[in-house]
Amino acid sequence: MGPYQDDGTATMSWLVDTSLDVPPSRQLVEAVLDAIVRGELAAGAKLPSVRGMAAEALVNANTVAKAYRDLEQMGAVRGENGRGVFVTAAGEEVACAARLDATLDAFRRAALEALRTGHDVTRLTSILLELQARKTA
Amino acid sequence: MNPSSTPLSMKDVTRRFRRRVVLDRLSLEVPGASVCALLGPNGAGKSTLMRLALGLLRPDAGAIAVCGRDPVRQASWVRGAVGYVPDRPDVHDWMTPRELFGFLRPQYRVWNDGLVERLAQRFELPQDTRFRSLSRGEGAKAMLVAALAPEPRLLLLDEPFSGLDPVVRHELLQSLLEELAGGEQAALVATHDLDVAARIADRVIVLAEGRVSTSGSVAEVLGSEDEPGRLPHRLYHLLEDAA
Repeated sequence: MGPYQDDGTATMSWLVDTSLDVPPSRQLVEAVLDAIVRGELAAGAKLPSVRGMAAEALVNANTVAKAYRDLEQMGAVRGENGRGVFVTAAGEEVACAARLDATLDAFRRAALEALRTGHDVTRLTSILLELQARKTA
Repeated sequence: MNPSSTPLSMKDVTRRFRRRVVLDRLSLEVPGASVCALLGPNGAGKSTLMRLALGLLRPDAGAIAVCGRDPVRQASWVRGAVGYVPDRPDVHDWMTPRELFGFLRPQYRVWNDGLVERLAQRFELPQDTRFRSLSRGEGAKAMLVAALAPEPRLLLLDEPFSGLDPVVRHELLQSLLEELAGGEQAALVATHDLDVAARIADRVIVLAEGRVSTSGSVAEVLGSEDEPGRLPHRLYHLLEDAA
């Protein structure tokens, strides 16, 4: 979800894809976690209202409510009565932990593909270091 | 739940047209705040079911209640509680949407002008163009606005998305989901579009040969959402089994 633009930032698209094997509410959970990991939703950031998210994702409001409950149970967000749903201070940590396995798998696949097509390890390592430097800069 | 608050309940409803039995001792319930997808092959009785709920037809046998009231004997009350979107506008084609809204407004106890303006603007609905000159999508939008304006307890949508281009379909779906969110309003949506059903439904009712072959929450009908298989696909199998 969330097609990437040329500059590497993701457009905030919450649209659920019913052609995927992943149930709609879990797609939403993953999309929110991704947005937190990417820093598009920082600690304290407000998630769209259930109503707004239902319209964005094109799913029933109950599906959104379930996703928000699941995210709250994970500790990534907190619902504040009447005010909305917010990313918790621990949100990034929770999201990163939850996304760790998935992203590592994806990284492994990409690295393997790169090695197979003939990129050398030093080049790949320098890309990694470069990315880390950019992140901490 | 208080039975009188159940937006729609049908018990052992039979309806014949001449000798053909269209609905055969059909029973179903549409609970408050639920969105029910009504699925079934052509001729399964979906439109007849909606016309019965609206009080436009009488059942030959059985009981129908809209929020606890009889759609035929308490017709005017029920008309105010039910919003209906037919698959094609069923209004005079010389009317404009603005004229339609003005015509309907005094007939209802509640008419939400703010909602009409908000949706008309959002849809960029040409309110002063006659229905005969509106596109298919504009007509469908106007009918949805007219159905939502009285803030009905029950919304009946009969194939509302058929024949619409993807952009209009998206817009309509978006507004429908937004208007239904968080309210007590219930909706019964007859559709052949399984993508739409998978998105909007929290309950599914499958009709086959005039009877309910399957009904329940999406989880009950399709199994846990963790089970593999894409939702539209699983709905398709459900329909196949019913046929």
